Amino acid sequence: MLTIRKRTIIAAVSQASLIVIICIFVYCSFRTIVSKLRAIEIIDDLNISVLEMRKAEKNYFLYKDVSAITELIARGEEEFKGIQSERQYILSDLGEETFNDLKAKIKQYVGMASSIKESPQITSDLEEKFRSLGQQLTRLFELLLKQERKSVNHIIMLSVLALIGSLGLLLLFQLVLWRYFSLLIIRELANMEPLITKISEGRFQEVAEAPIKPHNEIGTAIKALADMARELETREAELLQSGKLASLGVLISGVAHELGNPLNNISLMAQAYLSLYDMLGDEEKKIYMGDILNQSERIRKIMQNLLDFSRQKKQELDEHDPGKLVETSLGLVMNHMKLAGVELHKTIAPHLPPVFVDAPQIEQVLINLYVNAVQAMPKGGDLFVEVAHDQEGDAVVIKVRDTGSGIPKDILSYIFDPFFSTKGTKGTGLGLSVSYGILRQHNGEITVESEEGRGTTFIIKLPCHGQQEGEGHADRNHGH
Amino acid sequence: MPTEIMVIDDEKIVVNMCQRVLEAEGYSVEAFTDSVLALERIKEKRFDIVVTDLKMGKVSGMDILREVNERYPDTKVIMLTAYASLDAAIEAIREKIFDFFPKPVKIEDLKNSIKKALGN
Repeated sequence: MLTIRKRTIIAAVSQASLIVIICIFVYCSFRTIVSKLRAIEIIDDLNISVLEMRKAEKNYFLYKDVSAITELIARGEEEFKGIQSERQYILSDLGEETFNDLKAKIKQYVGMASSIKESPQITSDLEEKFRSLGQQLTRLFELLLKQERKSVNHIIMLSVLALIGSLGLLLLFQLVLWRYFSLLIIRELANMEPLITKISEGRFQEVAEAPIKPHNEIGTAIKALADMARELETREAELLQSGKLASLGVLISGVAHELGNPLNNISLMAQAYLSLYDMLGDEEKKIYMGDILNQSERIRKIMQNLLDFSRQKKQELDEHDPGKLVETSLGLVMNHMKLAGVELHKTIAPHLPPVFVDAPQIEQVLINLYVNAVQAMPKGGDLFVEVAHDQEGDAVVIKVRDTGSGIPKDILSYIFDPFFSTKGTKGTGLGLSVSYGILRQHNGEITVESEEGRGTTFIIKLPCHGQQEGEGHADRNHGH
Repeated sequence: MPTEIMVIDDEKIVVNMCQRVLEAEGYSVEAFTDSVLALERIKEKRFDIVVTDLKMGKVSGMDILREVNERYPDTKVIMLTAYASLDAAIEAIREKIFDFFPKPVKIEDLKNSIKKALGN
């Protein structure tokens, strides 16, 4: 298949050829016209000479002026020379026969004039013959002139018509080309449109696997687009992982304290058990040991959550209870919150529909929001977490609201941008942008409302019936 | 009259264990897991010794320490903390504090510290 570039060149060359042909045609017709006009000019000159000769002829017969006949002969010879020198013009225009006829008649006329000059006493019969020959010459030239003028007019008319016709043809050709190229490019661009839409929706995998149909420049562009999608896919996976690591860093300190408490409890109970051993009854001893087991279980759960969170694995979409997602994620930061003097107010609506999500990813988003909220309230405050069902949008809405410093209006629109951070060296600027990416992959959304000095609310929407839309992403690999 | 001790920690097991062990030593112990309630109680009653956790949400160990020092200058405060951070220790020393233990606490150390506090 020809590339658009080749097609454009072919079109341009054929157009240029058409223009050259028209130019040659115009040049030729002008040359014809010029040569015709030249012929007319010559015939006109010869005609004037003939008229002069007839004038001399009249003068001779009326006044018997001998000098007149001498002039006639001189003019006649000049005329003859003129015809000879312009032979080619006259020949090409009048043809051999007319030319010879003309030549013979002039020769005969001059010859008769010479004999009249030599013997002036002429019969009336000869005079009549001489005059008749002069008349024939005059008539012949008039006829020729008329004929030539008519022919020139005809040629000019034809040229004008042909010129208009060929310009029209050129215009038509141009229109056809324009139509062809616009249709071609629009059609190929239309092929690209769904791919670009997919990229804007973050469905990179589908773009990367899209067949590259036209083998021209648009095809190359589509290939570049597919390569870009593949690259974006890899980068997004990397970004997700680094975002997770960044959240993990914040979590580590919280988790250390989370582990500190049960460890401290176990230590205390073991010490009390030993020191009070003689005073404790059997039942009490069992209770002590049971509590130690409970505390060990508490440690195990924390470790499990942390492992689940940090593990690199495929995105696994499954049905989950949104309330439970919120509870689990809160569990990981509960202590962090308590230590920061943040009081939690949790409202989880009953009978929530399940959401079709990758649980660790959504938990990561939530943990990020909690940690941000706690950091926005350095002197403590209230954190409101609400989970509700939006009947109208058929979505589960999770709101995370803090009573912190709020986000200034001028930076509110940048907070989901990668590497945008208000935390200086403490933040990576990845948390919210990664959250945004995760929500987008779930066909959900994350938005923010903030009032300076009053606090910030992050709103997460997760579609309830995400299964059909989600299937396309279920096999996407985010690990390496 | 037995020595009156107040124990404050948001972990129930911590206060329970301290209460059991210290009562076994013959002290009279009041235990609180809610630091807000503990602060209210301090306003009503003087204790000889207050054993408190440092980080506890709304009312912290530092708030308890300040309140006690202001009301009862001769009451001894012993601080427990999971955060053996230098900042916290310096701040606590600035306010008058008797002793400072990192978690996990050794019961023997706590008992000795209380004895020392009462001996002085």
